[in-house]
Amino acid sequence: MTALAAAVDAPQARPRLFARKRVRQAVLIWCFLLPSLLIFGLYRIMPLAWNVVLSFQEWSPTRPATWAGLYHYEEMFFYDEVFWTALWNTLLYIGSAPIGIAIALGLALLVNSDIRGRDVYRTIIFISYPLMTVAVGVIWRWMFDERVGLINYVARSLNLVDSPIPFLNSFDWALPSIIAANIWQMLGFYMIILLTGLQNIPQNLYEAASIDGADARRRFWRITVPLLKPSLFLCFVIGMLNSFTSFDLVYVMTGGGPGRATELLVTYVYKLGFVQTKFDYAAAVTVVFFALLIAIAWAANRLSGGNAGAVESD
Amino acid sequence: MDRRTMLKGGLALSGVLAMPAYLRAQSAKKLSILTWNIADQEAYFNEVFADFKKSNPGVEIEWLDKKGPEVPVFYQTQLVAGTPPDIINTQGALWVEYAANGALMDITSMLKGNAEVAKRFNADYLANWTLDGKNFMLPFYITKTLLFYNKNLFKEAGITAPPTTFAGIMDAADKIAKGERTGLLTLNFDWLYWPFFKSEGVDLLTPDGKKAAFNTPKAAEVLARLAKGTDSGAINKTSWTGRWVEPNGAFAAGTVGMHHAHSPAFFFMKGQGPWINADTLGVAQGPGGWSTPNSHGLGISKGSKNPELAFALLAHMTSDRWTQEFTKRRNVLTGNTASDQASLARLRGEEPLTAAVLQTQLENTDKMTGNWPLPFDAALKDAFYPELQNAVLGRKDAKTALNDAERQVNRLLSRRA
Repeated sequence: MTALAAAVDAPQARPRLFARKRVRQAVLIWCFLLPSLLIFGLYRIMPLAWNVVLSFQEWSPTRPATWAGLYHYEEMFFYDEVFWTALWNTLLYIGSAPIGIAIALGLALLVNSDIRGRDVYRTIIFISYPLMTVAVGVIWRWMFDERVGLINYVARSLNLVDSPIPFLNSFDWALPSIIAANIWQMLGFYMIILLTGLQNIPQNLYEAASIDGADARRRFWRITVPLLKPSLFLCFVIGMLNSFTSFDLVYVMTGGGPGRATELLVTYVYKLGFVQTKFDYAAAVTVVFFALLIAIAWAANRLSGGNAGAVESD
Repeated sequence: MDRRTMLKGGLALSGVLAMPAYLRAQSAKKLSILTWNIADQEAYFNEVFADFKKSNPGVEIEWLDKKGPEVPVFYQTQLVAGTPPDIINTQGALWVEYAANGALMDITSMLKGNAEVAKRFNADYLANWTLDGKNFMLPFYITKTLLFYNKNLFKEAGITAPPTTFAGIMDAADKIAKGERTGLLTLNFDWLYWPFFKSEGVDLLTPDGKKAAFNTPKAAEVLARLAKGTDSGAINKTSWTGRWVEPNGAFAAGTVGMHHAHSPAFFFMKGQGPWINADTLGVAQGPGGWSTPNSHGLGISKGSKNPELAFALLAHMTSDRWTQEFTKRRNVLTGNTASDQASLARLRGEEPLTAAVLQTQLENTDKMTGNWPLPFDAALKDAFYPELQNAVLGRKDAKTALNDAERQVNRLLSRRA
């Protein structure tokens, strides 16, 4: 080939070269993605899909599967009182997340101010979060103990109650007690998220508002809360997800009792599957549980303007 | 070595390493055994297995131990994977579900073919592992409920002898309860509280097992009495947690008059309560002599590739020699009649209080209740117990709770029929 011929061919060869490069890049990208996608598919998508199929079957580890249609769903919605109790308790549990977030916001505002030793306070508040949930459950089980618990001891020492309160054995107190333990554990996490959000709010906004005569309350409602919205919703979404999966705390503290007072959907699913060996029915409850989770996460995201967790920038 | 060969070799090696040990043990001449929360007995198991291998050269035994709540989860996943351990140890009524659903091997013919093995066991205990007349397990170690009582508190309350009836127990509890003191504790998982009902003539189900039979005026009376006792402080509220450690710990603290519990609780309480000795702790049979067993059995998985070898290992483990050795190390009886008698004779000299506790386990064995061979025992418990809690903790009156429990139990029975 002459030099002239090569020069004439060059413009035609370039796109092919680019195309090959793009294909190679795409292959390389897929190669990097493949292990993660395989793991995701194997451990997330497949179990989910299988769970949905299982919910329409009669199956146990010792029997082959047979088609059951909507049998489990009919049982769940029309006959299973425990399902409705567990659902109600789960909603109450989720509903408690804003209480924790509100307390955390107060603490975040406190440790964001110029008080002395604020780093120490931040550490103390955060320390509950990395604790193992089982350990938190054990700690609070003893704290709430009727006879040797610290809370009853303090309450009786201060003459607040005549007789000890059986927190975890009481139908009225058991769920609030678990919610309190859950809030205590999550408080540090909420606080850190909100603190980060607070520190991202430009100071000049506050200065401008002060110059315009806005008092502290107005600055809080007009500047802090609106600009903290993404962080607040992130806390809410994570708090909600945590509530949905808060199995270990309930399992350690009350096991779902007394009666069904602290039965959550997640503990009920566990009992159905691994105590009663009703995996098929447990799968049906899980499908409803999952649908509920998706619905609440979607609603929370919509309420936050579709940007829960987004980082505000200057 | 080229890159491809290295890659193949690496994959093969990681495959072998990743393969669970119990899976590898499934091949010929290998046995796997899954036990229930007895990891402290590693030395014992090593000795038993070494001795077994002497008479069965070339056999490899893989021993796995899991904590109680993990055993069913682990076993179920292994069943699904088609790799169940050859031998499984279960507690209480868990075995029934496995047997009824075909996970456990019917060992009736093996027992018939080994008369020497069959006649070792206390017949009442052996019968705990029969379903539709077929044997599914052999006793590993046996326990049932009894009444522990604090002699000091009895003396202070002016009670001279342990009560023998439900009414007597409740009256004694009322007398003892004062201030921080409570009269009675009861363990209540796995139907351990059922002797209170059975001693008053209350049955859970009709004889054909098809309907609830417990909703009777007598049952309402018992439940109302338990609720009244709980409300007044005669019964310690810790009773109704369904837990094990807290009630036993509460009794060990020395402020509770009586404890209706199974024999293993004694060793925990003895470790926790410095006041406990033969002069201060009394033991008696439960109400009306009734008790609920909560024994451990050993069975063979249907998926075992070596069932004959597995049965030989069961026979070996339940032999006089090894059951006596087990009692020495664990202070439990094993259901092997000769061995238990020999162990008790030894203990009477060495540890009289332990001997007295264990002696109760061999008495009134014809009065065991709460051990119904129902494949859906766990679901039944789950339908009944929360209503019992509702009544004893004062959320519902006894009659309403029994009505609700009856409705749920009957619904369960009809759905399972």
